[in-house]
Amino acid sequence: MKQNNMLAMILAGGRGSRLHDLTKKVAKPAVSYGGKYRIIDFPLSNCANSGIDVVGVLTQYESILLNSYVAAGRRWGLDAKDSGVYVLPPREKSDANLDVYRGTADAISQNIDFIDTYSPEYLLILSGDHIYKMNYAKMLAYHKECQSDATIAVIEVPMKEASRFGIMNTNETGRIVEFEEKPEHPKSNLASMGIYIFNWKMLRKMLMADMKNPDSSHDFGKDIIPSLLAEGKNVYAYKYKGYWKDVGTIDSLWEANMDLLSKNNELDLNDSTWKIYTEDVTALPQYIGADAVINKAFITQGCVIDGEVKNSVLFTNAKVAAGAKVIDSVLMPGAEVAEGAVVTRALVADGVKIGKNAVVGSADSENIELVAKRVKGDE
Amino acid sequence: MNKAFGIINFAGNHIQVDGLQEYRPVGAFSFLGRYRIIDFPISNMSNSGIDNIQVYVRRKPRSLTEHLGTGRHYNINSKRGKLNIMYTEASQPGDIYSTDIEAYIENLDCIERMNMPYVVIAPSYMIYTADYSEFLNAHIESGADISMMYHAVDNAKDAFLACDTLNINKQKGVLSIEPNRGNAKNKNISMDTYVMSKELFLDLVNRAHKTSSMYTFADILNEECESLDIRAVSHRGYFAAITDFKSYFDANMDLIDLKNAVNLFDDEWPIYTRTNDSCPTQYFADSKVTSSVVSNGCLIDGTVENSIIGRGCTIKPGAVIKNCVVSADVVIGKDVHVENMMIDKHAKLIRGKRIIASPEKPGYVKRGDTL
Repeated sequence: MKQNNMLAMILAGGRGSRLHDLTKKVAKPAVSYGGKYRIIDFPLSNCANSGIDVVGVLTQYESILLNSYVAAGRRWGLDAKDSGVYVLPPREKSDANLDVYRGTADAISQNIDFIDTYSPEYLLILSGDHIYKMNYAKMLAYHKECQSDATIAVIEVPMKEASRFGIMNTNETGRIVEFEEKPEHPKSNLASMGIYIFNWKMLRKMLMADMKNPDSSHDFGKDIIPSLLAEGKNVYAYKYKGYWKDVGTIDSLWEANMDLLSKNNELDLNDSTWKIYTEDVTALPQYIGADAVINKAFITQGCVIDGEVKNSVLFTNAKVAAGAKVIDSVLMPGAEVAEGAVVTRALVADGVKIGKNAVVGSADSENIELVAKRVKGDE
Repeated sequence: MNKAFGIINFAGNHIQVDGLQEYRPVGAFSFLGRYRIIDFPISNMSNSGIDNIQVYVRRKPRSLTEHLGTGRHYNINSKRGKLNIMYTEASQPGDIYSTDIEAYIENLDCIERMNMPYVVIAPSYMIYTADYSEFLNAHIESGADISMMYHAVDNAKDAFLACDTLNINKQKGVLSIEPNRGNAKNKNISMDTYVMSKELFLDLVNRAHKTSSMYTFADILNEECESLDIRAVSHRGYFAAITDFKSYFDANMDLIDLKNAVNLFDDEWPIYTRTNDSCPTQYFADSKVTSSVVSNGCLIDGTVENSIIGRGCTIKPGAVIKNCVVSADVVIGKDVHVENMMIDKHAKLIRGKRIIASPEKPGYVKRGDTL
């Protein structure tokens, strides 16, 4: 806070129901990614690396694991004095009934008291379920340079996909003149990344008004941004270039993992100047057996590989027995593939065991198979 | 178990690991890629409920102190527990006065201030797991003055040559402590691991100090074998002593076989180490990795066979690594062929295309060196 007078709030209440069984017991931000991470490690590490030291995490859906996970701010180095990660689920207050967060803006409104204790000048709003690396300090510098009331990070998407996003139409100075949510005929390809910097005093006023508005859905994209623009506030688009992925479905989660396999991939998790921090798991190094065959793989500690792994990502403590084959697949933490089993184009969920000689997924399937339950093999 | 505090002793003058030891004490040696040797005694203590630990260091302490930090990653309670690094001043390498006794005398007030009635002492140059709370309880129950651990081996003729051996009677009483002269296959190797009352420990330290300025703790024990009831406790499971370059190399190599590693590692007895926040390892399309132990953060294009690869190593296309122990952040360049080598941290093997030692006498590449 001392450094930049900016406090970050991460919206982590989303359920991610299109991830099916993966989000049955954990919220989407807690879903595993990239061998050893959880999705929320990305915004949290970005905050830590950007010099932001107070982060509120707004949780709601299946939040037990997420709450305990983010509470250990030490993992991301967010544990200095006057620094910390605060878990903020909906709570009962003296002047209001216990309520769920009714929308993204409402989640912030219900925590105005928390934010006020820090009285920041700027508030950074982040989403807990995107994978990307971004220096928010640079975005803040841009925000100040433009003398914005609000700055929204945008990324260029292919024009034909633009209608899937919230699209920002800007003038030649980069000022946002219009916002269209999933437009049928998009006028630009600048998609909102759901990353906002607001002048807190101004936002605070708007949220107070929004709370009382019975017609509002209390959402940043649907309500707050449109009314900012309607009021003629200075809202600028901050163009981001680099890897950014919203992993909403099993296919896109699989794809985001596969992205890590190519040489010099854009996300570059190996960059020592912008590390992504995560839970420190006590596990052995990777054990690669005498007959193992590994071609194009991303493998982390605790894995034991005696079989064949091709074009796949293996998470902590995943095991591939002798004679087993794992091809174009993702093995989540603790997944085990027994002797002779073949896993192709599949995403095997945490701790799931694939039995002896079982066959899972297929090379010519259109979609990635999610394997969330034990697959029996030959006894 | 707050009945005991822990002391982790440095490797004495009889231990000389060529190459590696020039840069750091034995406890700070990289082991099996992701660990350092001292992770084992500290994790043993931490898992045994000992959370007041004194780690003694003498020379080149930087890498060790950096690795130990506050001790938080060893699961030591940050309020009730403490990991203390005890420096000893003024001692020279190989200095006859530079003994463990000398180090204890220098830090006597810190030892006296420990308010636990017992002390567990473990070395920083041995690799094994042991439950010290069991060790302590058995000691208290036995009524002995001192209990010490030993490991019965059948290869004492060619290994453990710098270690002490215990001469034990049928009742497991220690009759004498002698250097291993390599004259017999079967020996009881002293694990330099003791438990006794703090009071007796202090008494022995003072007595040793008065007797001779070059006495070690083992020396005074040997002298007191008759007057004290010293009980030998047998250890089972994996055991290695890092006493020279060969034993360091071999201990790493032994653990490439998962069957040996499961004797040392147990899910219920975690070995903690300091995280480096490195990402998983990337294996590219032409990589060939077999019979190896690989740490995180590596980029592998080449061939790795029967080797240990430390964190953050880059192995370029066409490179071949065979029977090697590779420390962290090493680069093996294009088409470089290395065999039977220990490659120390930050080294870059780029120009010399064939760096091959004999399997009987593995070679060493210096820390930070460029070949």
